[in-house]
Amino acid sequence: MDLIHKLNKKLDKMFNGSVNAKEENGCVILTGSLNSWDDIVKAGYLAVNKKKYLGVINDIEYTKEPVPGMRLPDLEDKQYDNVKCDVAIIGAGIIGCAIARELARYDLDILLIDKEHDVGMHASSRNDGEIHPGVDLIKGQVKQKYNARGNALYDEISKEMDFKFYRPGQYLCFTKKYMKIICNIARLYWKVMKVPTRYLNKEKLQKRIEGISDDMECAVFFPTAGIVCPYEVTIAYAENACDNKVKLALDTAVTDMEVLDNRILSLNTNRGTIYPKLVINAAGVYADKIAQIANDRFYTIHARKGTNAIFDKKTVKKNRFIVSAFGMSAVKTAHSKGGGILTTADDNMLIGPDAKETFDREDFSTEDINIDQIIQKHKKTLPGLKKSDIIAYYSGIRAATYEEDFVITEGKNTKNIIHVAGIQSPGLTAAPAIAKDVSLTVKKMLSEIMEVKPNADFNPNRKAIPDLARMDEEERDRLIKQNPDYGVIVCRCEEISLGQIKQALSRSVPCDTLDGVKRRVRAGMGRCQGGFCGPLVLKTISKIKNIDYEYVAKKDSQSRILFGKTKKHDTAV
Amino acid sequence: MIQQFENTYDVTVIGGGPAGLAAAVSAWEVGAKTLLVEREEKLGGILKQCIHDGFGLLMFKQKLTGPEYAQYYIEMLKNTDVNITCSTFVTDINRQDDGIFHLILVTHHGIKHIYTKAIVLATGCRERSAKQIFIHGTRPAGILTAGTAQYYVNILGQMPVKKCVILGSGDIGLIMARRLTLEGAEVEGVYEAKKELGGLLRNYSQCLMDFNIPLHTQTTVTRVFGEKRVSAVEVCSVDENMSRINGSERIIECDSLILSVGLIPENELAEKMNITLDAETKGPAADQCYQTMKDGIFVCGNAFHVNDLVDYVSSGARIAGKCAAKYKKRERRLIPVIHDEKFAYCVPQLIDIDSDQKKADIYFRTKQKEEDKHVTVTSGDNILIAKKYIEMRPSELEHIQIDIDKIEYGNDKIHVKMGKVE
Repeated sequence: MDLIHKLNKKLDKMFNGSVNAKEENGCVILTGSLNSWDDIVKAGYLAVNKKKYLGVINDIEYTKEPVPGMRLPDLEDKQYDNVKCDVAIIGAGIIGCAIARELARYDLDILLIDKEHDVGMHASSRNDGEIHPGVDLIKGQVKQKYNARGNALYDEISKEMDFKFYRPGQYLCFTKKYMKIICNIARLYWKVMKVPTRYLNKEKLQKRIEGISDDMECAVFFPTAGIVCPYEVTIAYAENACDNKVKLALDTAVTDMEVLDNRILSLNTNRGTIYPKLVINAAGVYADKIAQIANDRFYTIHARKGTNAIFDKKTVKKNRFIVSAFGMSAVKTAHSKGGGILTTADDNMLIGPDAKETFDREDFSTEDINIDQIIQKHKKTLPGLKKSDIIAYYSGIRAATYEEDFVITEGKNTKNIIHVAGIQSPGLTAAPAIAKDVSLTVKKMLSEIMEVKPNADFNPNRKAIPDLARMDEEERDRLIKQNPDYGVIVCRCEEISLGQIKQALSRSVPCDTLDGVKRRVRAGMGRCQGGFCGPLVLKTISKIKNIDYEYVAKKDSQSRILFGKTKKHDTAV
Repeated sequence: MIQQFENTYDVTVIGGGPAGLAAAVSAWEVGAKTLLVEREEKLGGILKQCIHDGFGLLMFKQKLTGPEYAQYYIEMLKNTDVNITCSTFVTDINRQDDGIFHLILVTHHGIKHIYTKAIVLATGCRERSAKQIFIHGTRPAGILTAGTAQYYVNILGQMPVKKCVILGSGDIGLIMARRLTLEGAEVEGVYEAKKELGGLLRNYSQCLMDFNIPLHTQTTVTRVFGEKRVSAVEVCSVDENMSRINGSERIIECDSLILSVGLIPENELAEKMNITLDAETKGPAADQCYQTMKDGIFVCGNAFHVNDLVDYVSSGARIAGKCAAKYKKRERRLIPVIHDEKFAYCVPQLIDIDSDQKKADIYFRTKQKEEDKHVTVTSGDNILIAKKYIEMRPSELEHIQIDIDKIEYGNDKIHVKMGKVE
């Protein structure tokens, strides 16, 4: 019995004939209709056969409610019309930005495109910031290979691009003493996988992690685990790329392509038609949609949502750590590590994430039940966690494929595209290594049609906006004397000065929104959540960008804060 | 009023709002060399944006606006030689071995070091944010606290809403309901999860009733809709345990959600110095001299506990300033003030029986509305004072004065009790 026939029999049994599978161009294509999203996802997983097929194309229609499409910018202009470039990168998340920066080492015209008003607006700013040691990865996975290499690159790139990076290590805790045996067997596996580990007994564990539950009997320590602020890294990459002449097209959505003789000729956007020689698909949750319009679809992205919660700084412990408990799976699924507790790069405690399949790829909403679940779960590890200490929470969407692995490859059907898709955890860890490999592939591919020379002016170094509150007094005093704005505190919770906010508004990656400022210098990230500094930041943006108050927005032109002057109604005749 | 400063003081007041202003004036009056530190550009604190009237009825026997009330004290300060430094932020406080406090200040001239014998914390309070009350759904523009809305309207002259829902019936929420209506916005209604109004009755009558703005008690906002800007909110009835009543959900189209869901004392500096906080007030515990559990550190205004009248803030701050000026290190004999569970809180939490501050104003709030009740303050079998109240409401702070000399030495507690009028 051939594979498709077998699959169809299984699908028939499960979904009463509502789903049909066929093989086309080396892919499994699922069609039909179902009214349960979970069933659609289940069917997708059922069709996976990595050895025989390139991937699963899940076209089963969801009939229960309308599936929201890609949110488009409201801008329509000709800003990028007829722009020719060597490489167009679609998607300015961590992957797109890292590739842009690595490609800037060559003398190429590079256009980095994103539909959002800022870089890193989706998964890249909605994760927990862990640089993974590779605890649960398996040999042969693309993500395993890139995770190991990416992790090792962080020391170097954090120095070059001046972002915060710590290696506090990760603790995987066990509740039973006899699990020491399991630990030791597992450690042999990790040894083979070149993941360094150490065994810790209860006493040592308690010394390392203040407030850890007495139920935790032992732990495996992974010293290579690290922490960054994920949007800080994304912005650092984007700024360094732009400092090295990469052009950035924000508020620009690729909605269609002209493809002829297996080559992409042009990209249609709301800001004009762009003519690239080569396209890099780093479009995150929409990577399969981009693949489809490029005539090169062989995988499906299904959105998996996760929620994280952030605690007040006063709850932070003396030592930094990343900790999770083995087998505590209140919300764990087969395809998620089940989250953990960690000290963020900005010194807050963070818990999460959970995992839930969703049909809306941009559903960043939060639910109380998710917060309750993650706090209940992680309380078993750190009993001192209190819901009343939570100051913020957010959801992110993982761009998972049914194969649950990264898709990093040249086009299968279309010649001038590289897919960098299916990037979910550990995408942040893997990004620096992926970017290096993809840039070499680009060089190889472009060399067939043009000469690719190194960029003699490339500067790998980028200077961060000074973080005055973390500086020693002498340095801080010196900077304030150079620029008195550094001595004017605007955000009282995070101790952010006017000078830092002004800096955020004048870097190589444009920023003119409250959220943009918040992600660059943390004004509004603290316990008052911008209640006090929000209006002051708005005033500063208005002044520096020379725009009226009412045009200053939270995240883009559709999310303005104000409606114009008061007393307007008095002037109406 | 001197806009510069030296580096040693008797008293340093942190915060230039109504509490800090009154504390600085009174510290100077008793002869202390005083410094007033304000983080904003101008003095006055939150009063600057409170352009409605009703301030000063107790203190000045007239109805003043917030800026007018603040100006009274700013004028008083002009006749003193209190040193003032605005746009100045205190980043750290340490106590040296000799008992003197060392403060690190960030100013636009650089980092400054200050040495002071006593400190008055007058850092005010902040509003609870949407995240702290676990507002869920999408995360668009248009969710803001009432105080932020007030800043936009009264300071920037800008409209933050066209049609809004107000969650929480705290005073700023009520004031903003009226203010926004006067500016032409539509306030669909004020929603309060509790059974009782959160703010003063006078504000309910003048801000909601006079403008036909409905108040929906035992109703809360359960979800926000809209990705870029708020497009609607879901409201839902809740029972007495604050659990939602399924089936009572209602969607209201609006462009903004304004929150007036409580104020929290800003006590980050106090926490840094490990000052004991009261779980009920969320501010430091203090005695009738407004001295915290750490010798030499005083607290007043909304940093101590959230007041509903600025007049109370000023009168308490005057005592705090005076006592800070007279501060000398000595052993305090502190007697705790405890209260029945019918009270939400009671301040001061301690009485220093050796202090020359022989009168103590006990401020308290009830947990629920109470009618025809006696409030008695006792020390052992000795009734220090008893007062009859026709009505007490959680939103209205009450106070009662006790005579310290009447406290029988040897009794280890002062008890604030509530009983039925027989």
